[in-house]
Order: sequence, then C-alpha cells, then structure tokens
Amino acid sequence: MNKIRGDIHYGNLYKDGAVVRKRREWRGLTDTLYDYSRWLGIMAILAKFIIKPRNIKAMLRYRWMANYLAVPMMVDRHTQGLRGEYLRICHTEQDLIIDDVAKLLDNLFRGDRRIGNDTEFSKKVVLVDENEMTAVMMGFPTLKGLSRETPSTYVSVLLNQHAAVHYIDVAQQFGLAGDVCPMPEAEAGVSIDDDAPILGACAVQCNTTCDGSLLSNGVISRRLENVDGIPVFQLAAPLRHREDDVQEYAAQEIRNAIEFIEKHTGEKWDWAHYFECARRVNYATRCRLEWLEMNKTPYPQVFGSNLALYTETNYMAICGKIPAFEKADRKISQLAQRAYEKKKMAAREYRHRAIIWGVQSHFYMDFLVWLLNCWGIVPLTDMLSMVSTRELVTEDTPENREQAYYDMAWLTENMIMRNRTHGGYKVLLDELWEFTQEFNADMVILWEHMSCKALDGMHGMFEERARQLGIHLVWVSHDLFDPRIISRQGVRDQINNYMRTVMQEEPVDPTLEILHDEESW
Amino acid sequence: MMKTCLKLLGKLALAALAFFVVTFTVYFFNLDMKATALLAPWLEKWYDHLEHNQYL
Repeated sequence: MNKIRGDIHYGNLYKDGAVVRKRREWRGLTDTLYDYSRWLGIMAILAKFIIKPRNIKAMLRYRWMANYLAVPMMVDRHTQGLRGEYLRICHTEQDLIIDDVAKLLDNLFRGDRRIGNDTEFSKKVVLVDENEMTAVMMGFPTLKGLSRETPSTYVSVLLNQHAAVHYIDVAQQFGLAGDVCPMPEAEAGVSIDDDAPILGACAVQCNTTCDGSLLSNGVISRRLENVDGIPVFQLAAPLRHREDDVQEYAAQEIRNAIEFIEKHTGEKWDWAHYFECARRVNYATRCRLEWLEMNKTPYPQVFGSNLALYTETNYMAICGKIPAFEKADRKISQLAQRAYEKKKMAAREYRHRAIIWGVQSHFYMDFLVWLLNCWGIVPLTDMLSMVSTRELVTEDTPENREQAYYDMAWLTENMIMRNRTHGGYKVLLDELWEFTQEFNADMVILWEHMSCKALDGMHGMFEERARQLGIHLVWVSHDLFDPRIISRQGVRDQINNYMRTVMQEEPVDPTLEILHDEESW
Repeated sequence: MMKTCLKLLGKLALAALAFFVVTFTVYFFNLDMKATALLAPWLEKWYDHLEHNQYL
C-alpha cells in the first residue's frame, strides 16, 4: 500500500448535515503549507475581485453570485487526498481557472447595463454559449468573447450543488418541461428570471448538444433580441461530424459567423492572431495526448478531476486564446513527468482501472476523487476529455486560410460532450471499448444522465458489449444539475452496492462510504 | 542606525508571524467557509425580495 502523509480517513472531515467541513486536511507539513499558500493566493484573487464597488453591486443583484462564496471549498473538494505533484497539478489548474473566471465576471459586470454600464466596452463584447467551442473568436484579438451561462450556471453548480435549483424551478413555473436536461433548463431559467447580465454588440449561439440545449437557446435569444436589442447568430454545426460530406457546410457556417461578428462589431478578422491561437491549441493537444499516454501505463499521472475539469476549460472556453494556459500545460507536463519517472501513485491503493463514460453529474464533479479515495478505482480518463486530437494548420498561407475554416468547423463540431453524444454509434459505443483496451481498464463507470435523451436509448447496447468483453460496467444514474432527484449519496450508493455485492470488496477508506452531505455546498 | 534596522526587522518578523498564525488558523479550521456559510441564508432572503422582470 502506498504511504500517504497526514490524514487518510477523509470522511472524518465531514460533519453530518453541515454546509461546510469541520476543518481542512492535514497533508504533512510541506504539502499543508503549500496548500495554505495557494489558499492565500485564492483569497487574494477573491479580494481583488470584490474590492471593486461594481462587483459588490453585482453580488447583490444576481442570485447566482452567492455561489462564489464557496470557491475555496470547491478547491478543497477537488484536492482531497492529493499530495506532492498531484496537489500541485490540481492547484496549477484550479487557481488559473479561478483567476480566469474572476476576470470573466469582472468583464461581464463592466459591460452590464445594470452594473458597470461601460458602453464602449460593451460594443467590443460578443456573447457566446457556455456549451460552445469559442474557435470563431480566435481571430478577433480586440474583441471579448464572454459567456454569461458559464458563471451563472456551469461554474455555479461546481461551487454549490444547489445552485441551479432556483432557476430550474423558474423555468418549470413558466411551463418548460420538467424532463429536459437541467443544464439548458437552468440557463433558460436564468434568462427568464431576468438574472443574466445585459451587454454585448451581438451574440453567437450554437446548436450544441441536444434538443434541450436548442430549447434553451430559443428562450435566451428571444430575450436578447426582443427585449435587450442584441442580435444573435445561430451557428448550426452538423451533428454527424465524422462524415466528410458535412464538412463543407460546417466551414461555411464558420465563415457566416465570422462575417456576422465583423458586421456587428466593426472589427476585422486577424489571421496572424488566429494562427497564434491555433499553435497554442496544438500545444494543448500534444500535452493532453502525453498525459493520456501516461494514463495507459500502470502509473497514470493526470487523471480524474485533474484531467476532466482542466480539459473542459482549456479545450472549449480558452481554445488557445489565453497564453497563461500554455504555461500551465507546460508546468503540468513537467510535474506529471517527474512523478511518472519516480513511479508515484496519487492514492494509497489502486485496485481498478476505470474509464468514465457518459455525461457526468455536475453537482458532484469531485466524485472522481471519491472513487479513487474510497474504493481505489482510478478514473483514467472520461468521455468529456476524449475530444479532438487533430492538429490545426498554423502557417499563414492562402491554402491554410481556407483549411482554417475547416479546422474551426471541426473544433465546433467536436465540442466537449457533443463529439460523443452525437455523431453515430462509433463515437459513443465502439470507441469506448477501444479505449478500455488501450488503457487496460477492467471497469467502465457509465454515468446515466436520466434527462439525456441522446444516451438513454443505448443502455442495452452498452451492457451487451461489456458482457462480451468481460468488463465490469457500473451504471450511475443522476440528473446532472439537480441533486433533488438523485443526491450525492444516491450516486455513491450505486458504486457502494456494486463494489460490495458484485466485487465483494471492502472500501479503502470506509469513512467515505456514507456521507451526510445533502446540505453541503 | 543598525539598532533601528534590527528593531524594524523584528517588528516585521513579528507582524509576519502574527499574520501566519491568524491566517493559518482560519485556513486549517475552515473558518472562512464557516463564516460564509452563515452569510448565505441572509443573501438568499435578500435575493428573494428583489423585483425581477420575468419574461419567457
């Protein structure tokens, strides 16, 4: 068994029915002091943000802003049990994401007609969807592509499991169906509830993942265009993204989106800046591939939350536009390489190697950490991290400018989640089994997002193939943004039952098996 | 001059130590999160009484 310094029974840090934990984790002297120094850094970011009067005004105006009180606790959840390089990788990622979200909020409130009302700044803002590749912004260095849904719903639920509940209820009070995905439903709820900042010269929405997402876009764009007077472009990327005959249409959609942005902002597409961003996207892709290669060995290094949360941010929202993420990629690779050479392990015991598939529960993103600490199940990779690995063209030539439209279209078609939930049988089912072999996994944890129509119909096909291959397939039902349907303990129970009854195993850390964290953030 | 410098350094060291003791106590016993957890219900009540222009 691998030796871990400091606390090893993490369930003891919880208090039954409490919102927050009793105390922070003791990780041995060096790692505790390191974690403390990063906590100070996060406090400094939060203080720098809240010191501005307009941000206090926004805090008192927008209900979802209250969730940002829980930022330090989110970091504690994702760093649970981590030591050495793994702790440093997690902080490198999370601290940068926190800083990036703080800047996003600051920009939103600067341009918001209700808060900062900086009209000149607002004219340089293009609103983008949360669930959208931001590739069409890679050639606009003077514009800000800002997402309102990212901080109001997506990040909020990472911070506080109850964050979306109010907005889901508002949407349903207005007659929207209760069985659609709670993510777009909550986004629509924010718009209906008049709780989204109002700014921007125009907006670009994408037919991202599903019917629920299209419904939400309809509700939001109605308000943007009819009430706020902000024109909206609908970027309709093909769903059968692996088919060659859709690529020309997809590239034309990108040209149309760029033309729309140019028309409404008066800015011109900058090819030099685009190719600079494309170079950074390629670097991020190479790093991700390097981490995934390590995860195929007995000594995986960047996995679980460290892989999932960072990939979502870096791949989709950043898309090469922010140089700080390139530095973070480099640092993570160095830390991972160092730990790999020393054959280090992130937990006391590795019992099973698992691929996490399906759409993960958003109100319980630290479930991956729990799997590792409670049962020794190593989440080697997850569906949302298995995105495009294609290199983009980076040299500015007439042929490459034409190819670049196809590259941006490819990225947009292959946004996180969409590239697996749509695109045919191969991307969702066949490739899962290829990955289980490549990663030498003996287990698949299959999230069953009960409101996701795209995946629910495939249940029997997954089971049939798993049985043929002799892979342990563990279903974990959840309702993405709504912990009232299946709680965090409800999620854990599904694993606990499988591990005890089918696998006949005892947990590595029994204190984590049952936690009364229904009221917790 | 030397004495003043030493005195100043001593005061700085004392201030740094006090800063460390206070902030580390807050950090380790999760006092920052415990305090904000007390604030959250008040904010909820505040948001509930705000007028919003709801629109579908």
